Amino acid sequence: MQHGRDKTPTHWQRACHECDLLLTGRLAPPGQKLLCPRCNATLHRNAKNSIRYTAALSLTGLVLFIPTASLPLLHFSIFAFGAENTLVNGVLSLFDAGYIWLSTLVLFCSVLAPLGKFLLLAFICWGSGWAFLDRPVGAAVRWYQHLKEWGMLDVYMLGILVALIKMSDLGKMEVEPGLYCFVAMMLVANLTTLSFDPQAVWDRMGRRRERRLRAAGAGESS
Amino acid sequence: MNRPQRALQHGLATCLCCHQLVELPAGGRCQCPRCGARVHGRIDGSLMLTWALTITGALLLLPANILPVMTVIYLASGEPSTIISGVMQLYHAGLWGIALIVFVASIAVPVMKLVGLALLLVQIQFRLPLIPRQAMKLYRVVSGIGRWSLLDLFMISILVALVDMGAIAQVAAGPGSTAFATVVVVTMLAARSFDPRLIWDVYDQRQSVNTENDKKGVAGNG
Ligand SMILES: [Zn+2]
Ligand SMILES: [Zn+2]
Repeated sequence: MQHGRDKTPTHWQRACHECDLLLTGRLAPPGQKLLCPRCNATLHRNAKNSIRYTAALSLTGLVLFIPTASLPLLHFSIFAFGAENTLVNGVLSLFDAGYIWLSTLVLFCSVLAPLGKFLLLAFICWGSGWAFLDRPVGAAVRWYQHLKEWGMLDVYMLGILVALIKMSDLGKMEVEPGLYCFVAMMLVANLTTLSFDPQAVWDRMGRRRERRLRAAGAGESS
Repeated sequence: MNRPQRALQHGLATCLCCHQLVELPAGGRCQCPRCGARVHGRIDGSLMLTWALTITGALLLLPANILPVMTVIYLASGEPSTIISGVMQLYHAGLWGIALIVFVASIAVPVMKLVGLALLLVQIQFRLPLIPRQAMKLYRVVSGIGRWSLLDLFMISILVALVDMGAIAQVAAGPGSTAFATVVVVTMLAARSFDPRLIWDVYDQRQSVNTENDKKGVAGNG
């Protein structure tokens, strides 16, 4: 079961993903980080109660997503003329203007990836409690890792600020309720990223597998 | 001399997705037993792929900066602005804080990223002497900042929806934005495909060559 046992006397537990150094320590103590002694990479960040917090936060994020995507974020007016922007109508007008690639990218990074992250994390946290979902949950963790850096709500937030200041001398800019939901969703998204520790999911699966093996063994001996 | 033990020398590899330590079969690649991701000692064709993406990004940086990214039409007048002229406009309007943010996000970051990646690639390709700690710092900066470049594009998509009042005021995207979007995506993929463990491979190899030379020198003198 353990790897590399036959060749080396030491039980290697982990290799740094950035410098390939073999290490004997596997996990960080709760609430702390495990750093690579050679290259200083963060090997493991042990968030307390990771699964529970992540589940709560990702559900909050999903709930917040509904008003954020449907309510207008900003209102801009010159004289009597005004226009609003929502998360998707900018994407739609870019799409109509023929900027298909650009609008797809903006849609992906500001809507689809953040939504996908919330959905995947909610599924991971819920599904890790069931044995028959082990494979899909493993795949979900993998997709989450790929999707992680493409969710850019914080960058979008800065984009909103720049747009707000840039246009303020041209006309009147008003903040709409959707923006408050957006800020809340962005904060929740960042907290979710911080609280999620995939190691907790693997440990949960491992513990369950062990329990089942032990139960099977006890059944045979009796 | 006590040299650091590295995973590949022991036929081990870490899964880049879930950080599980895996014993590599003879072919040098396998599937991670825990999350199902592909595991290889080093990312396949990392150098070639990163070179290709970096060069593509550098070439696309030209149209991204020469072509207009956005046109603000106010009371039937207005001309297309490029990324640089947009920054200059903000600066002349006295909004130098915002001008600095946009400059950093859309000019400094892509250029720094491409130069940084090229430096790392040259050092590894020609096995130049390198200081691994510095190289790792560069790698982490390069892979961390890329997403902020999308700021300008998010701002465009917000303004396109927000400033849409027909003849009075209108914002339209320009062809440069498509090129710029591609630059951002390509550089993000380039940072992803770069394998930082190659830095340490070169470093370790140089170290071992040096110690061998030292030994030979001692033997020759004696
Ligand atoms: Zn390391
Ligand atoms: Zn894995």
